[in-house]
Amino acid sequence: MNDVDVCIIGSGAGGGPVALTLAEAGYSVLVLEKGPWLTESDFFKDELACCRRSVYTPHLKDEQHVLEDYDGQNDDGSYKWRAEASSDSGSDFWNGNCVGGSSNFMSGYFYRLKPKDFRLRTEFGEIKGANVVDWPIDYAAMEPYYTKAETVIGISGKVIPHPYQEPRSTKDFPYPPTAEHAVSNLIDKACLELNMHPLPTPRAVLSQPKDDRRSCEYSGFCGSYGCSSGAKGSSRAALLNQALKTGNCKIQPHAKVYKLSSDQTGRVSSADYYDKNGNSQSIRAKIFVVACQAIETSRLLLASTGPKHPNGLANNSGQVGKNLLFSAGGVGTGEFTYAQFDTQLAEAMKQRGPFVNRGLQDWYYINDKEFGAPAKGGTVDFLFRHPNAISKANGEKWDDNGKLMWGHSLKQKIKTVFTETKYLQFEVFNDWLPTDDCFVSLDNSVKDKWGSPVAKIRLGYHDHDLKVGRYLAEKSEQVLKQMNAKNIRSSVSGSPPPNLVAGGCRFGNDPVTSVLNADCQAHDAENLYVTDGSFMPTGGSVPYTWTIYANAFRVADIIKNRI
Amino acid sequence: MRKELTKKTLYQWDNTIPDGLDERIKERQARRGFLKASGLVAASLLLPACDNNSPNIEQSITKKSNDLLSQAPWQTFSAVQNQLFPKDDDSPGAEDINATMYLKSVLEVPGIDGADKKFLRDGVGWINDIAMQMTNKAFHELSANKKEEVLQRIATSSAGENWLSLLLLYIFEALLTAPVYGGNPEGIGWQWLEHKAGFPLPTKDKRYYLLT
Repeated sequence: MNDVDVCIIGSGAGGGPVALTLAEAGYSVLVLEKGPWLTESDFFKDELACCRRSVYTPHLKDEQHVLEDYDGQNDDGSYKWRAEASSDSGSDFWNGNCVGGSSNFMSGYFYRLKPKDFRLRTEFGEIKGANVVDWPIDYAAMEPYYTKAETVIGISGKVIPHPYQEPRSTKDFPYPPTAEHAVSNLIDKACLELNMHPLPTPRAVLSQPKDDRRSCEYSGFCGSYGCSSGAKGSSRAALLNQALKTGNCKIQPHAKVYKLSSDQTGRVSSADYYDKNGNSQSIRAKIFVVACQAIETSRLLLASTGPKHPNGLANNSGQVGKNLLFSAGGVGTGEFTYAQFDTQLAEAMKQRGPFVNRGLQDWYYINDKEFGAPAKGGTVDFLFRHPNAISKANGEKWDDNGKLMWGHSLKQKIKTVFTETKYLQFEVFNDWLPTDDCFVSLDNSVKDKWGSPVAKIRLGYHDHDLKVGRYLAEKSEQVLKQMNAKNIRSSVSGSPPPNLVAGGCRFGNDPVTSVLNADCQAHDAENLYVTDGSFMPTGGSVPYTWTIYANAFRVADIIKNRI
Repeated sequence: MRKELTKKTLYQWDNTIPDGLDERIKERQARRGFLKASGLVAASLLLPACDNNSPNIEQSITKKSNDLLSQAPWQTFSAVQNQLFPKDDDSPGAEDINATMYLKSVLEVPGIDGADKKFLRDGVGWINDIAMQMTNKAFHELSANKKEEVLQRIATSSAGENWLSLLLLYIFEALLTAPVYGGNPEGIGWQWLEHKAGFPLPTKDKRYYLLT
């Protein structure tokens, strides 16, 4: 006897679409979420809550990761790795553990993948040292769900002709672009002078009200912050709240799933979790959907051994946790002084609230002899430096020689940074190639507060990622230069951004080399689906969230048709 | 002789830096400059862990007593903060932003790791030891020039630098956080730096340690 039809573990971008689709279809759905249930009335522009204390993420002493960094080479040329618990290093790899997951805290910068992203191996060939493969589905299979996400999540934007524009089944976005900052015109002008094609950035932020969600109120504090108007298209605001209205969906916060038990046939029989009081509970369901964000999804499967799954659930291929992806690239900055503008423009530049909303995809595919053979490139987006004031001031306390400053000289430096200078940045997104040096396993020694082994993450990257990233950063710096920015610099490295993570349970047609089939159903556990970013065998060169939403809607339809 | 004692004290102190606290390492990590803002900012890298103190939160935030600033350890904290963040004609100093009372609340409410709190508190003993060794006076009794000498001296050790760096961090919090936390009275820090705060701002019953 099952408790519910469908049990979803994780309430973020991978879980929300499944919950809504199946609840609307009349099935009983239970969403188990490890974190608390916060709502619009709990979200404020509070830098302590968002970014300086562990409010939306666990305390590292309770739950953490072990991170393995490259540490030179052995005599035989093999790599050495140095493991460090994140509570020792202070490196925090959590992203938002609460109802709605990290989609509560994104800045909603949304791009679709492009058709070639689904067949990278065929289009660009093998890259030595990388495990590049084609996807088992093509862009046409995903397109209707990208479109569905535009409407259901509420994506604001404007389609303009572009050399690499991906095919669309609708003419334009359902919501017009969000309000734009004056700097957007300056970026457009510079790009056009350089024969580049500036793109309006689509955003999962409402520019007009929808259902019970208000439109954006333009406080200027978006990324990292929970949204108090409901405009941001988080899984919670856009999907779970709607799912609850059907009466068929329940959300259980403070439910930490530690194991998926499976029976003699290999089917998942229950999700076992610790409740808020630390007591173990168990839920039986027809279908189980895992969407804990890539690292924790792999960890949960690896920890869920059973009679048919001696190496972890769905891991008879040994592929669970492998080919973890981040986003490669880096960031760059240019500085403007208000004094370089006339009074009117200076005032406009000081404005906070409207979005910069500009990106470049002129080098999504690189065809440049100076670079080498044709290659996959990436996306550039422009944004102002994050407005967090405490971190901005705190970042100024070291002088150019790395010596701690204080007193009058430090105060003067901070005053200048805050009142005389505007920092325009760009971010480069390019493929983080899947390799054997980037994966999730279980750590043998470090446990979480419930006694379960934590995820150990090896953080190797491919040198090709840096080559592409630097190429894109160089192009982006030209834009800042054309705008007369000063002190232009950029940094491209192999350090992974923990908030842009996918892979670990790649989907494919061959059970030997993949964890999931093309439907994101486990090859060797027929009532188990994975719907977060884990399924991606290659990452594309845009933030993952829109693709996660779209794919989860796609898989939700598949589940609806079988159940 | 005195100098050698000081040096020994200084570097013994280095062994007491709590795991995960080293400000310089964190700064390097932040400067790797890669954590993209599209989801979460690099500030998440700087998150300290938490302990489970159960303080009298209301009292610690609202109680503001001049008497307190003349008592240990707040007398020392206050003197160091005024040296780190002095008042100028055109800008607020540590006293104007309630830096000491703010620090007191940081040490009392949940949010900061217990080892970090201990490190902050222990620093008061160390800096006074060193001040005594250098001048035969407690830190708060010194002239501004002598205070500066002591600070320069302790900054040569890793622990001393970390301690001052942490105090600066909490000064910046007192300067720029939402006033509901006890610093930045009436937005004085925001006004000085022409910083436009976001909205809505947290209310008293929605301070971060009351949310979850």
